[in-house]
Amino acid sequence: MGKLKPQKDWRWFTISKRIVEAYVGEYASGKSEVAVNRALELARAGRKVNLVDLDIVEPCYTLRPIKKELEETGMTVLAWETRDTVGLGEAGNIIKPECRWALYREGDVILDIGYGVEGAKTLNLLEGVEETPELQVLAVINAKRPMTSTVEEILDYIKELGPVHGLINNTHLGDETTPDIVQEGARVVSEVSNILGIPVVATTADQKVTKQIGPQDCMGNTVRPLVRYMPRTFW
Amino acid sequence: MSVSPQPAMPKSWRVESKPHKFCPGCGHGLVLKCLGEAIDELGIQDRVVFGCDIGCSLLSWDFFNCDSVQTHHGRTTPVMTGIKRANPDLICIAYMGDGGGYAIGVGGIVNAAARNEKVTVILANNTVYAMTGGQMSPCTMPGQKVETAPYGRDPEATGMPTQGPEMIAAITGDGAYVARGTTANLKQLKSYIKKALQTQMEGKGFSFVEALAACPTNWRTNAEKTWAFVEKEMPQYYKVGEKKNPFEAKKEAQQNG
Amino acid sequence: MSEKPITGEKRAFMTGNEVVAWAALAAGADIMYGYPITPQNEIMHYWTRQIPKYGRKFLQTEDELSAGFTTVGGVLAGLRAFTATAGPGNTLMQEPMSMAEMMRLPTVTIVQQRGGPSTATVIYSQQEVTLTTMGGNGEGLRIVYSPSNHQELFDYTIKAFNTAWKYRFPTFVLGDGYQAKMRESVTLYDPAERGIEMVPTEKYVGKPGTPGVDRDPGHYRNTYNTEEELFEVLQKHFADYEKMAPEVVEYAQEAVEDADLVIVAHGVVFRGVRDAVKELRAEGLKVGYFRPITLRPFPAEQLKAVANKAKKLLIAESAQGQLARLIKDAIYGASAEIVPMFRPGVGITTEQIVAKVKEAL
Repeated sequence: MGKLKPQKDWRWFTISKRIVEAYVGEYASGKSEVAVNRALELARAGRKVNLVDLDIVEPCYTLRPIKKELEETGMTVLAWETRDTVGLGEAGNIIKPECRWALYREGDVILDIGYGVEGAKTLNLLEGVEETPELQVLAVINAKRPMTSTVEEILDYIKELGPVHGLINNTHLGDETTPDIVQEGARVVSEVSNILGIPVVATTADQKVTKQIGPQDCMGNTVRPLVRYMPRTFW
Repeated sequence: MSVSPQPAMPKSWRVESKPHKFCPGCGHGLVLKCLGEAIDELGIQDRVVFGCDIGCSLLSWDFFNCDSVQTHHGRTTPVMTGIKRANPDLICIAYMGDGGGYAIGVGGIVNAAARNEKVTVILANNTVYAMTGGQMSPCTMPGQKVETAPYGRDPEATGMPTQGPEMIAAITGDGAYVARGTTANLKQLKSYIKKALQTQMEGKGFSFVEALAACPTNWRTNAEKTWAFVEKEMPQYYKVGEKKNPFEAKKEAQQNG
Repeated sequence: MSEKPITGEKRAFMTGNEVVAWAALAAGADIMYGYPITPQNEIMHYWTRQIPKYGRKFLQTEDELSAGFTTVGGVLAGLRAFTATAGPGNTLMQEPMSMAEMMRLPTVTIVQQRGGPSTATVIYSQQEVTLTTMGGNGEGLRIVYSPSNHQELFDYTIKAFNTAWKYRFPTFVLGDGYQAKMRESVTLYDPAERGIEMVPTEKYVGKPGTPGVDRDPGHYRNTYNTEEELFEVLQKHFADYEKMAPEVVEYAQEAVEDADLVIVAHGVVFRGVRDAVKELRAEGLKVGYFRPITLRPFPAEQLKAVANKAKKLLIAESAQGQLARLIKDAIYGASAEIVPMFRPGVGITTEQIVAKVKEAL
């Protein structure tokens, strides 16, 4: 389990303009994990960061349980706290009102979007999408997920998502993840990238595995280590 | 066993289970006769699955030479829906009383109707829970004395009787067939049931026929009074006729060019 | 359309609900009937996403009564039909399943337990053990599997269809919200490629030929006229059930031979128990575990043998003694002392079990 103590690590970004990223992807693809790690990385670099929980489908894995801890790093987390809600998943997952206007906040905005038939249409729940040209929609792909395991399946899946600006290879098998599994995912996701003309923004994996792979995967994509926070967020 | 069928017995009736077990003067036998003749005339005996509810309708569980399932109270519509969804080639008929259809089973009927399920519901309305001993049912008439309304049904306290076909007609989509017939006019009732089954056979939509039926046993009426209640009193509140007819709608559309 | 959902073995990272949907596909389930309730929804989500490719069907009903009764209808039509539910939905589901018991209809129901009584919590509990094993107005003429990880969820969902159709009793896979939502790896496979033959189904209604002419009509009922008639029907059901039980009962046990204390747990709680036993044995403590995999029929004889040897049975469950009731019934007269560890509606960790064992020893 990762510790959330701020530490200086400048590797993940080099740009200084406002960063607005929406993480979309299949159920259990690792969207939240990638989003949380990204937000932490930006916060550690001293940037003003808003992390927004827009998962209206899954009441179990959300940012609620680690909200306070994340906020201690200086970022703003727009998410319910469990005790503020009643009957999650029963009354529906209610969007916290301030999430709707998250794009108007000062600083970087990292959006964790839930899965669902409508996929990235969840972005329609946000105000100001059109006035935010810097918004990057990033699709998180785990090629070990049964419905996104081949190039064809991923192409079909991304077609349904709507506009996507970048891909993230987050291929893994939980605790069984090996560098080979991640590299295999990198090959599949890179092929999708070539076909669609959408860049692979990064390959992400557990710290232990990324250490073995090195700074770039077999396809030349940047490798980002992930600290796994989400297992702790299981309601 | 030497059982000789009566001349007028429909071919689809099961001789071995006759004489049937309904009370003398009961409306069920008449409704089931119309149904049996409709099945014969449409030639669908090999495809029919007949489902019956709890209450007196369950006595029809072995009534036909058709595959038949006796279900739970109010659950015949979903069981028949489940069969139809699994095997659309079958003709699924859910048979019940007004308690099974409009009280405990109303959720099933309303939602099957709203989904325009390709099944046929035939509901005998005799204004009482008969098998349990004559309690008030959704269709008990205002002022009618029953075991749980011994001074007569008071609409102020218990509401007005359910207008089933009118409700079903309002919530079904195009293609549905909805009618209220009566055992006082068997020719008409049979034509309604036949059209309901044709609606299903042609895959048009949900089909529903309520049949006004007698329960002399619980009404405590002699033949004359039984007939008067079915023929005169019930239709004052329950209007007989077709409420939705896809065949007519088609004809009208053709006429209107 | 007839393309197989899974060819070759495939290691995948999934949630439990998805595993169930894939298992049903792999098992050749033809139709699912269901009504939304957390935490089983993704079974429906992933079933409906997949079925157009494989020519399977789905109907969303108006409630669990209809979900259960349409499932009954699907089985009557001769299809591998299933449903999934939880909590208050499972309460409603008991009515159709009692009809399935009486009429010996091989329905398959996935239950993802949630907290109770009433609406309670949406995610996790083991409080539907009594309801699922003995629900309805009846005698528990049903089979209940309690898996503890995703692989078992896959294996036992496939197995449930076979057990149901072989013995013609309604069959349940009793999961829970943890298992439904948890993510772990699983090997998906086509049963045929592993030599698992799917038990053929049979039509109850709609067989070829005209009833009364070419064949007898199928007349099915659950109402009986006399007490004697019902008694006779039930005796046959009980005899079939007893004959079936030894063929169906499944359990796992470890380190019980010399154990002073044996922990009994089922489902997801067993995961913590297995690790606790490993840890306690490493410390030299004589502790073992017994895990019923079938809760109905219950591995009674096997547990009784254990309960006659061990000094204590520690029963760990996320309920207030629902598993314990099954155990007490099974081991009546055995010498072991029962130590309860009841945590209704909340999870039980390895650390908690280790601490409890040390306190009890």
